[in-house]
Amino acid sequence: MSGALRTLPWGSGGLGTQDHQRDMYLPAFRGHPGFTVVETAAGDLTTAIAETGAQVVSVCAPPEERAARIVEALRAGCHVLADKPLALDVADAERVAAVARETGLVCMPAHHHRFGAAVQAARGALAAGRIGLPWNVQADFLVDGGDPCPQGELVNFGLYPVDVVLALTGQAVERVHALPGRDPARSTLLLLDHEHGLTSTITVGRLHGTAAAPGMALHRYRVSGSGGVMDVDATRPGATVRTASGTRTAWHGPGTVGRMLTALHAAIVTGRPPEVGPGDALAALRVTDAATRSLTLGTPVSLDPSEV
Amino acid sequence: MESHSVPARVLVVGTGFIAAQHAAAIHAEPRLELAGVVDIDPGRAAAASRANGGVPWFTDLGAALAETGADGCVVCTPNDTHADIAVQVAAAGAHLLIEKPLATDVAGARRAVTAFARAGRVLMPAHSHRHYDYALAVREAIGSGDLGAVDLVRLSILGGWIWPDWRGWMLDPARSGGHALHNGVHLLDLVTWWTGDTPETVYARGRRRTAPELGIHDYLEMTVGFAGGAVAVCEMSRGHAPTSYARRDVLVTGTGGILTLPWDAEAGTVTDESGTALLPPGGTDGFATQIAAWADALTGAPPAVTGADGLLAVAMGVAAERSIADGRPVRVADVLEEAA
Repeated sequence: MSGALRTLPWGSGGLGTQDHQRDMYLPAFRGHPGFTVVETAAGDLTTAIAETGAQVVSVCAPPEERAARIVEALRAGCHVLADKPLALDVADAERVAAVARETGLVCMPAHHHRFGAAVQAARGALAAGRIGLPWNVQADFLVDGGDPCPQGELVNFGLYPVDVVLALTGQAVERVHALPGRDPARSTLLLLDHEHGLTSTITVGRLHGTAAAPGMALHRYRVSGSGGVMDVDATRPGATVRTASGTRTAWHGPGTVGRMLTALHAAIVTGRPPEVGPGDALAALRVTDAATRSLTLGTPVSLDPSEV
Repeated sequence: MESHSVPARVLVVGTGFIAAQHAAAIHAEPRLELAGVVDIDPGRAAAASRANGGVPWFTDLGAALAETGADGCVVCTPNDTHADIAVQVAAAGAHLLIEKPLATDVAGARRAVTAFARAGRVLMPAHSHRHYDYALAVREAIGSGDLGAVDLVRLSILGGWIWPDWRGWMLDPARSGGHALHNGVHLLDLVTWWTGDTPETVYARGRRRTAPELGIHDYLEMTVGFAGGAVAVCEMSRGHAPTSYARRDVLVTGTGGILTLPWDAEAGTVTDESGTALLPPGGTDGFATQIAAWADALTGAPPAVTGADGLLAVAMGVAAERSIADGRPVRVADVLEEAA
């Protein structure tokens, strides 16, 4: 397979007021030489795929029907980029994973933060043993302003930093303790125990909005290893431009979504396993689910070893 | 001490490495005068005397108090001796500035607080970080209201330098109370003071990074849940690699904004063959500020840190050690009630 992949955007639903299709994926697909966007007025996905000859579907169907549309696209022979969360519950995520396995098609959950340049460089350095065996990660994922997610930011953002920690270390989570922030819908603290004694602590939240909003207030990972420490500011690279109208970050290279699409394209055209798949969505979902249970119980929650 | 004209006479009790900083602070404070030094080891007591202009030295605290008629003591002995020494100082009618922790358990801390309440003397635990510029800056930023109601606090004090060898009493949990009591109380006290809130739960995880044979956890992560809704993550490490590693990092988020104080916020950095390190910050001497606050308290000002603050920090430290052992959050009120 070569040339630009015919890509069909499907749906503009998200948690709360989000429209990742319009705001993130479509501009990135349009700007990426590996894809060409196709459109149709067809009212159902299978017909739309047939009409356009789509090879890839960017699924942003509303969360409650998202898993069903992903499965429909896969069954129609298309590769999928799936908005996060890929599914609302573990059963649906498992169903998507099973169909992806069965069809052999690429089904990539849009965990785009793991594709960030700083995160990828850190992942490579960790895998190369640059700081020895990692034993702790401290992470902050704090968004500045924007519309609060009605389902809470743990469900909304939580899987991003969890996915990055899993991508960085490769160590599955075995136990989850969570503490609510002042406004439990707005912020959560996750305390995770992983394989090999690794521990991680992740703050997830949305600030009320400062003068610098919207954007990331803080997105960083400190990884401590047996031989050293790595500080990863996931908002980098970026030049800071300070002007009369405010301060902004500027950078020339592709952002996290563009880099994710490059990985998607590479997986489709080479047939190599994608860097992130339904199993990663499932792993992150199990952690945020366990965190929700821990918040209710007030105690740590162990994940079923068969799930890890 | 009731007069501004006559300096209060102060004994330094325990002449380990931190005693020199206290003695220097006393020499620099015009309202205080070093009356003598006390150490159970006569060689160390004599050496401390020589280093401080030949002040009288003693191996027995009772004798030192009786012979010098000291107005106050600065105690920097091993942690497991703190409670009994505090009670002895109170009984002698002297004031006390005592190294943290106030005691290695809640019962001991409570005995000290009760003794000073009965004696009507000043008891101030040396939670020295409260007197450092960075801690005061964070406190003032929160106090200004600019950050709104505090949501999340991160305080990380990380190093790779562990105490010199196995003979250090700090490594013996029976003597130090464990790392959560020995150093952890600094952070637990600070986040409580910053938030002005009541700590409800502590969930802690500990590691033995430097050696599996350690009796203490050289890396601590202590998460505090406050009654008012704030959460604080406190990291205290002597177990990082490389051994030259030294970082302090503060983050506060609130309903009104965010404060970040990264490791290099306080000074310039220097890079050489051994890596990148911070240049000396050159700010206020926290020990001088602390001793001045104690001198203020001797003349009637409210103490900057109270016995009750010290007691609460001990209870939080005990809760942290227990949480590490049990793997579950521990309620601070339960720890306080056990020793009531």
